[in-house]
Amino acid sequence: MKIREKILVVEDEKSIAHFIASVLNTNGYETMQAPNGSQAQSMISSWCPDLVILDLGLPDMDGLDILRALRTWSSLPVVVVSARTHEHDKVDALDLGADDYLTKPFGTDELLARVRTAIRHTRTSSGNGEIARTGIYTVDDLVIDYNKHQVLVRGENVHLTLSEFRIVALLGKYAGKVLTYDFLIRELWGPRAGNDNQILRVNMANIRRKIEENPAEPHYIFTEVGVGYRMAEGE
Amino acid sequence: MKVFLDKDVEDLLTKPSRFSRIFPFSIQDLLVTACTLFCAVELCILLRIVDPSGEFASLIFVLAVFLISRLTHGYLFGLIASVVSVVGVNYIFTYPYLALNFSIAGYPLTFLTMLVVSIITCTMTTQIKEQEHLKTENEKEKTRANLLRSVSHDIRTPLTSIVGVTSTLLENADKLGQSEKRQLLEDARDEAQWLIRVVENLLSITRMGNEQAEIEKKPEAAEEVLGEAARKFRKRFPAISIAVQAPDNLLMVPMDAILIEQVISNLLENAVIHGETTTQVRLSVQHDGKNARFCVADDGRGIPEKDLPTLFNGMLKRSDTESIDGKRNMGLGLTVCKAIVHAHGGTMEARNCPEGGAEFTFKLPLSVEAKA
Repeated sequence: MKIREKILVVEDEKSIAHFIASVLNTNGYETMQAPNGSQAQSMISSWCPDLVILDLGLPDMDGLDILRALRTWSSLPVVVVSARTHEHDKVDALDLGADDYLTKPFGTDELLARVRTAIRHTRTSSGNGEIARTGIYTVDDLVIDYNKHQVLVRGENVHLTLSEFRIVALLGKYAGKVLTYDFLIRELWGPRAGNDNQILRVNMANIRRKIEENPAEPHYIFTEVGVGYRMAEGE
Repeated sequence: MKVFLDKDVEDLLTKPSRFSRIFPFSIQDLLVTACTLFCAVELCILLRIVDPSGEFASLIFVLAVFLISRLTHGYLFGLIASVVSVVGVNYIFTYPYLALNFSIAGYPLTFLTMLVVSIITCTMTTQIKEQEHLKTENEKEKTRANLLRSVSHDIRTPLTSIVGVTSTLLENADKLGQSEKRQLLEDARDEAQWLIRVVENLLSITRMGNEQAEIEKKPEAAEEVLGEAARKFRKRFPAISIAVQAPDNLLMVPMDAILIEQVISNLLENAVIHGETTTQVRLSVQHDGKNARFCVADDGRGIPEKDLPTLFNGMLKRSDTESIDGKRNMGLGLTVCKAIVHAHGGTMEARNCPEGGAEFTFKLPLSVEAKA
């Protein structure tokens, strides 16, 4: 018998919880539902899900508090669902350790893609499994060679500068996940780099001019406006 | 009883603010007062060369007090000016010069005149300002009511359809064929998507706040915003081809990226929904002097000539006259677009291309200081 991944859906709106659960069930996941924060917390420790889908607006507590409490003892993947539209809510959730976010209203394909990515990233402890095995990340015609420190597009080396390569390498390592501007800056230039993301934008513009056919219609690195960047996933 | 209670509470609540409204202090008003009084003194000194009697002094100061009361806010500076003037006229311009003497005949009258002039003018000025304030408040209220009415109207139609479709499916599931069911569900989904669009626009309005120009502008890469809008568009309308063009040099534009993305999405969707025969859309951004020029062009049927002049305020007009052939117009979307662009200090226009199709352009200033 195939072991099905267990997903806990924390959502107080019955219709949405129902919709999420039925989509996940028909796609081969096992689900449980928690309508409020306290129930969610006890179910996380008793049922041990493989992933939590967490709504931020719960009746008894703020979803962010649940996330904060959870992150003190577990790295269980969490996909945050939020009706809040201000981008700093998403950034806050991501910086608190959420693996990804979905903004209401979202479609089924989006939901499944986020769940798949989040689960895959925990199975291989250090980001992407393919990279750990081969030292190479491939998506369509783009190849990131971590051993040789180069990026190839259609087999040709595109000659990135050191910081450009580090940005692409980091995005590739977490392919499919959105990385916030702050996270990228901290990882690349250290904690004291401040939060001026201008330099990141300029680097990204240069990267896109080297790897994308049309920088205004990116195929490999997407922008999440106001939040950060996301590398396309392979397969 | 309740009325009295409410009024009392209101009094209590408004007391501090009323005090500061009647006696507000501002550096600007202080400067106005000082300048006007200084001018009055200078004028008196100059006039004394011509006419050494100094009788005109009090008249000039009455004028000065009047001007100050009119130009400053509240009562504070008007009253200060009248006291200063009375003392000043007495000290400098009436015999004995450079000494205070309140026993001169008619002096109490001068003092009273100035005080009365100052109080009456201050009262009038304050009233006028409050009326203006009320008027703009009323207008805002009216716009809000219009918006609500038009939005509720726009929401009712798709909701009716969604409820209709779902209850048909629930009640007659066995009588409907597979393709009929699919068609109904597709209709319901389209209507729901349309509702989402309305709500996104409403959220954009709340994001801009009720006072205009309270938006947070940050330099953003124009190509990123375009790319994102195009990606979402492609997901929703896979059948329509979209071409995106951005300049070779990175163009950073100060903007609220979420709002501008909303503008571009609205324009793109309009191009498909109202262009009717649209098969391709072109989205571009260019550096244009001190502005960034965004453009959305399609190859659809274009905009009916008679709609062009009122295109951007369609939403407000619509409630009076029934919309053309009962179709939902692009009112809310375009009104929101224009409001967002204006709040950025930019301009927006629409035209029909000579080779067919509609073209919407908007410009955003590249300097951060420019404000609406």
